[in-house]
Amino acid sequence: MRGAKSAKWVAIAAVVALGATACGGGGDDNSSGSGKGGNGVISVEIGEPQNSLVPSNTYETEGGQVINALFTGLTKLDADNKVVNAMAQSIETKDNKVWTIKLKPGYTFHNGEKVTAQSFIDAWNYGANQTNAQQTNPLFSHIAGYSDLNPGEGKKPTTDKLSGLKAVDDNTLQVTLTGPFSAFPAQLSFTAFVPLPKAFFKDPKGFGEAPIGNGPFKMSGKFKHNEEIDTVKYDKYPDASKIEPKGVNFKIYSNLDTAYKDLVAGNLDVQLVIPNSGLPTYHKDLPGRYIDEADSGVGYIGFPIKYNKAFQNADLRRSISMAIDRKTISEKIFLGARTPADDFISPIIDGYRKGACDACNLDPAKAKELYKKSGGLPNNTLEIGYNADGDHKAWVEAVANQIQQNLGIKVVAKPFEQFQTILNDLDAKKYQGAFRMGWNMDYPDMENYLRPIFSKDAIANGSNYAGYVNQDFEKLIVEGDHAPTHEEAVKKYQEADDVILKEMPYIPVYFYTLNSGFSEKVKSLKIAGHNILWDTVKLS
Amino acid sequence: MGRYVVRRLLQVIPVVIGVTFIIFCLVFALPGDPIQALAGEKRADPNIAAILRDHYHLNEPLYQQYWHYISGVFTGDLGETYNGRAISDIVSQRFPVTLKLGLTSFAVEAVIGILAGILSALKKGKFLDNVVLVATLVLISIPVFVLGSVLQLELGVNLKLTPVAGIEKGWPQSYILPAIVLASTSMAYIARLVRSSLTESIRADYVRTAIAKGLPRRRVIGLHAMRNSLIPVVTFLGFDLGALMGGAIITERVFNMPGIGQQLAQSVYLRERPVVVGLVTLLVLIYLAANLLVDLMYAVLDPRIRYE
Repeated sequence: MRGAKSAKWVAIAAVVALGATACGGGGDDNSSGSGKGGNGVISVEIGEPQNSLVPSNTYETEGGQVINALFTGLTKLDADNKVVNAMAQSIETKDNKVWTIKLKPGYTFHNGEKVTAQSFIDAWNYGANQTNAQQTNPLFSHIAGYSDLNPGEGKKPTTDKLSGLKAVDDNTLQVTLTGPFSAFPAQLSFTAFVPLPKAFFKDPKGFGEAPIGNGPFKMSGKFKHNEEIDTVKYDKYPDASKIEPKGVNFKIYSNLDTAYKDLVAGNLDVQLVIPNSGLPTYHKDLPGRYIDEADSGVGYIGFPIKYNKAFQNADLRRSISMAIDRKTISEKIFLGARTPADDFISPIIDGYRKGACDACNLDPAKAKELYKKSGGLPNNTLEIGYNADGDHKAWVEAVANQIQQNLGIKVVAKPFEQFQTILNDLDAKKYQGAFRMGWNMDYPDMENYLRPIFSKDAIANGSNYAGYVNQDFEKLIVEGDHAPTHEEAVKKYQEADDVILKEMPYIPVYFYTLNSGFSEKVKSLKIAGHNILWDTVKLS
Repeated sequence: MGRYVVRRLLQVIPVVIGVTFIIFCLVFALPGDPIQALAGEKRADPNIAAILRDHYHLNEPLYQQYWHYISGVFTGDLGETYNGRAISDIVSQRFPVTLKLGLTSFAVEAVIGILAGILSALKKGKFLDNVVLVATLVLISIPVFVLGSVLQLELGVNLKLTPVAGIEKGWPQSYILPAIVLASTSMAYIARLVRSSLTESIRADYVRTAIAKGLPRRRVIGLHAMRNSLIPVVTFLGFDLGALMGGAIITERVFNMPGIGQQLAQSVYLRERPVVVGLVTLLVLIYLAANLLVDLMYAVLDPRIRYE
């Protein structure tokens, strides 16, 4: 099993370089015998979605891919990983707080119902209401009225409508946020913000087994748990002419290695993540049929700053960072499936600066000096915790060895059963050592790499496991939210980024890369945000 | 005989209650929070997590949680997973897969194992005997996941003789290779068991008498010797039937078969107590039934054994 598949979705600007398709003129329509044969249906590997297929309850990549094929939201990512309008004709705001969204006409749900502004409002009201306990509930917190729908456990919400949502007419949606938030259009690209038909509210449970969307593909039959989710092309989709596949068959695997064998044998058409076992050979196994692109994930080493005084010195944290040889880790341990981190922001995000992190360069001499200056660690011993159920042992041990060598202190890699176990010990202030940590974005904006991990608010409500607090950082993030243009927002967020680059509450170690493969049946495809961009899929 | 069966069946009730309680306690004792597990490495939203914990009674003490569970079971409700799927639904979807795999595997190991054992006992010390001995040694020493992966790669990916994984081709195509892999170790044990017990029986007095009386060899071996030699084999097969139903975790994983084993591994990981308890209880019931069947088989094989 692929672990609790919480690797949220991950954005990738994937450009497919195709070597082997230099066709000699003639139209060779021979599809290989993959999937369901040469009928234009392509099969895609996924893991069992964590929940039934309700968009607001889908907060992970596996179900997210299916939702993405079945639904179309207001915005989406293009192949360059930029946020562009999908169902939205225009998104306008004067103050980043009140947003007016005009819808493109012509979209219908697969049961024929017209998609209107109300379809979005109903869906978001459902997602934001604590009574429905949806996984993506916190994503709606920027919309005005969210707190009325979430009074807390044991209390009943007094209303079931977000006060910030208003349908001006069938094709115009007005959204009022609790405060200015410049990343709102980026957030709308997340699959939790898609519209829902009236049929959903009659039977949410049944809907989750056979969802009715407004996207390029519609369900063919029901969700067959642990086996497959079968879809066919929806002919009334406004952009149907741009969609080449006649259907998508999501095949559910419990094991990536098995899926990879199926891909090589031609029984599977697309695998988004090639497993570690395939990494040494996939370029040879899949000649010209692979994608290697930067992905959105970041791997860190974190410190329990909030209760372990030893780690409260920034020089100490910087010295540990400088003792890590990120290049060797990426190339030798991950065989190129990671790249050395040089910023807190992923390279695919607008605002990433190459080499921004000066303490991310290996410099043993300076590291030793800084370590001495900082006063060092008690007994000169450092523990790095990792969860043994993921593929973390090898790299954490390698990092431990490097720090041990370069700083001349004792470093131990400490296995925990699951990531949660580390989390529990951190919450209980029981564990004194450093720990590994990873982050994948929810939406492609710099803000999403900063606030949920390093802001004060994220200590209780987010993933600020270090318990890091810095007033300058807080101020700059808010300034970014208020910025009138995207460019100015990026600038402010970069200043906030500079604060943590200096302070290093976490140490960025590597960026994820996306290594995907496809069968001979597919000529090319592009991937963004861990979703296949269906209008870019060309069949051979 | 009838009374014996009823008595055995009555014994099942305390066993089930005991087993569910023990398993419940064990899964309860595992560290980790099933609601946080749903959110992975990001922190679950505190408010939503609290509501879910409340809904699934996770804040209550162990005995209350067990009471919620077991009172549900007695009214026919096996409960639901922490993402809202009925467990009865999971069982009815997954059990047929495991059942097909287990029974196919059972047939493979029984037929091939017993045949190989007989051949090897009859040709003791000859070439064929040595072939069986070496083959069984190899099978016993290769771990199941290695054998599974290698056969999958050679037969599925390279030669394309069998499906690589999944059950979309249905029974028997999709099940044959996994069943052989699953049966491999037990098959080897059975062959060896049959060989040793049959060689012993062949040398026994009653067999010599039968031969001296002029009975045809086929009848002597097939009826008199075999019947006695099969007792340890039936014991082994009976226990193995239970093990096949629950022990296919690795095989189901390698061949991506949505059976009970796969679900069990996943649910233990996600700390889904009701699922683990439900599935394990089901496996215990199968195990008990297989056991009872074995005990009844003894009487058929050896008329000297009586139940009262």
